[in-house]
Amino acid sequence: MTSVIELGPHQLALEEPMYFRVKLEGDRVAGLDVQPGQVHRGMEHLVMRRNLYQNITLLERLCSLCSNSHPSTFCSAIEEVAGVAIPERAEYLRAVADEIKRIASHLFCCAVQANLIGQTALFRRAMEVREIMQRSKEAIYGNRMDLAANCIGGVRYDLTPDAAMYLARQMEAMKAPLDELYLQFQNNPAIMARTAGVGVLPRLEAIECAVVGPVARACGIDYDVRKKSPYGAYDRLEFSTSLQQAGDVRARNLVRLAEARQSVSLIEQCLAGLVPGPLCADLLPEIPAGEAVAKSEAPRGELVYYLRTDGTDFPLRLKWRVPSYMNWDALKVMLHGEPVANIPLIVNSIDPCIACTDR
Amino acid sequence: MTTLIDEVAALLAAAAGEETVATWRRDRKGVLTGWCRLSSADSLEAIGRAIASIQGRLSMVTAYLTEKAREKGGREIAYHFDLDGATLTLTVPLPLEGAQVPSLTPIFRNCDWHERELMELYEIQVVGHPDPRRLFLADSVPDAPFERLIPYSTFTNGAAGKALWEKVLAAKEKP
Amino acid sequence: MQDQVKETPAEPVRLFRINTGSCNGCDVELAVTAAVDEFDVEQLGCRYTEEPHEADILLITGPLTVRARNEALRLYAEAPETKVTVAVGVCPVSGGVFRDSYAVDGPVQRYLPVDLNVPGCPPRPQALLAGIAQARDLWRARSKGVDAVFAAPPLAKPADEPAQQFPIRGRMSFDPKACVDCRMCRHVCAAGAIHFDIKGDKGDRHLRSQSPGSPEGVRLTLWHNSCVFCGLCSHYCPTGALSVTGDWHLAHRGGQTFRFSEQGEVPYTPCSGCGSPLIAVAPELLHAAFRRPTPEIEHIKTLCPACRQQLSIGAVRR
Repeated sequence: MTSVIELGPHQLALEEPMYFRVKLEGDRVAGLDVQPGQVHRGMEHLVMRRNLYQNITLLERLCSLCSNSHPSTFCSAIEEVAGVAIPERAEYLRAVADEIKRIASHLFCCAVQANLIGQTALFRRAMEVREIMQRSKEAIYGNRMDLAANCIGGVRYDLTPDAAMYLARQMEAMKAPLDELYLQFQNNPAIMARTAGVGVLPRLEAIECAVVGPVARACGIDYDVRKKSPYGAYDRLEFSTSLQQAGDVRARNLVRLAEARQSVSLIEQCLAGLVPGPLCADLLPEIPAGEAVAKSEAPRGELVYYLRTDGTDFPLRLKWRVPSYMNWDALKVMLHGEPVANIPLIVNSIDPCIACTDR
Repeated sequence: MTTLIDEVAALLAAAAGEETVATWRRDRKGVLTGWCRLSSADSLEAIGRAIASIQGRLSMVTAYLTEKAREKGGREIAYHFDLDGATLTLTVPLPLEGAQVPSLTPIFRNCDWHERELMELYEIQVVGHPDPRRLFLADSVPDAPFERLIPYSTFTNGAAGKALWEKVLAAKEKP
Repeated sequence: MQDQVKETPAEPVRLFRINTGSCNGCDVELAVTAAVDEFDVEQLGCRYTEEPHEADILLITGPLTVRARNEALRLYAEAPETKVTVAVGVCPVSGGVFRDSYAVDGPVQRYLPVDLNVPGCPPRPQALLAGIAQARDLWRARSKGVDAVFAAPPLAKPADEPAQQFPIRGRMSFDPKACVDCRMCRHVCAAGAIHFDIKGDKGDRHLRSQSPGSPEGVRLTLWHNSCVFCGLCSHYCPTGALSVTGDWHLAHRGGQTFRFSEQGEVPYTPCSGCGSPLIAVAPELLHAAFRRPTPEIEHIKTLCPACRQQLSIGAVRR
């Protein structure tokens, strides 16, 4: 028996408003129409009516979970147009900010996943561990979500020796809890029962949908922008791409937790490599007419910016594609044949960002 | 990496003629970006199929009005493809009035939302799109809000900000 | 405050969240007040509900997008009459960085009354708790029908604050003495939170003035309800006239939204050559440019551009 149901943010257990129209055969999902737009703030239009400086702050408010990825990638695009090479110290400091955000973002996703499978204690534990990152962000950047770390030509924060030591201690404090969370999501029978073999995205269909980030890497697709198209400090940092093969909810969570643990190591490498030097190449560089593409690996995957300038400090066009934009479509595959009760868990397993998607 | 450049050169020539050439930039980290202007949208599908044949991935589609669009009467769409870490941008010039492009969604499944979005934001028709409904815009928002040649309503002209500021300044006047 | 703990009624005050198109910053921090012991709203005698019809306090986030409006207003209408409405962050009351978009229909006051605003971008959980505590007291007073006499209690600073090593990015502060009227702050402000105007341009004649009818000074107004606390103005300010304070105790009644601003005036002084008004060069700028100014520089700085030109090249060439 075929029926159609409408699901909103409350039924989908999302922090943000998003609507689905789901076609059911009996109690199994047979079709899906994703209806975005609730958080559409016309941002690609707003950026053309704000200058390049204002857009640093505006883009940081695109989405607070991956807020640093936007200004840092946008600034990279400007720097590419302007032919500016940012100082080495600034490259490390941008990577520190990005990796701090990645850990907090991945932990938030895994906490929500735990909550959705009724693991309340694990949910609260993941949120407590995430608080170490939240405190670190506030201590170093003055805010728990929006870091205000970037400016055109470099960064606008520094790590004093004291602050670097503080951050190193915080990173040390993350190691055991992250390892423990990984083991829980990997081996806890109650969690496995709800996540293994659930919401499977086969590798070939993942390629066809062109998914990115942890969703792709959980299907064995070896793609991480930090490796494929190195930027900033990443050509000097040692890490391996986190991969899983099963393509299910469990695999996606394991990729995220492995990456969070790896981010701790990346931050430690940055602190070790933090050479003395300027934070910014040129406070007010000349930005000529031109075009550039800049990419980065945001917490949810590949982020792409395209900037076109005309010699004024207003962009002629500034376009970006967030990782979540590429991953919604794959829910049709993941949800197909799944019971209605699994919809919230599977939807949240792609760690969808609606503020990013809608812009 | 030079093999990639050669490979792309060959497929562009085969799909769109010898005059279709990409120029490449290599940044400080060694990452390649290629840039290619097409003379029209006629060869777009053929190039799209050629890129798909070497496992290229559609990355993003950017529609925009060019500099001095009113005088020159121009708009463009830039199609950005990922070639295993390198980015190839194909730029298609289009007329201001009656712009049409073929849909690439039959070739790249993930082109679906990109095309739906550019159809609602700009006055561009995507021919052969399987599902040309609105995507992000509320029903009450007029079509094609990115067509800057059309004057905005006072609502989008900074009117809200101005009204709020008048209240802020007035509040300062009376203690 | 400790005496009141025992009075907490058995029935918790119920909080309901409405996201009207936010960047999710406020929402994620509100989630923290439901998930992390240290910041749990339970300590205030509150709990979250998923049912709008049992909401005592509405927590509204986001700038109110065109597309989210109907649903947001429906949820608002479903909540009981006695509800207290809290605008979380600056977006609901001013649009913040999203103001003047075709897709944004705020501020929310166009459609519903705001009882309380908790500025911040996003507000830290301590600020959210302080705001929710005020909203709770307001709701209790309102339920007893004493809304009119309610006065918001002064906010107590949490005990952990002195131990905090690093300053948080709170309210911005303006020092007119260091301002040179370059207006870079306004240029880089994404949120349109900085406004310049000329004082004495019209009216205000009763104030002393060198030449009657000439303007007296430049006035900067900083609207804290539009500011997103990014500090970019202070980063690009050449003289340190704008600075970030650690003040996050910003929750206030909705009626104060347009009064929550700071103003400073940079007076014009007469040019020592011709008497026309000019903005004096702040010592901070002089120091940045010359470190130790010579007497000649000290003299030039009191001249208007026309008199400076005359001094260096003899006469104004046309």
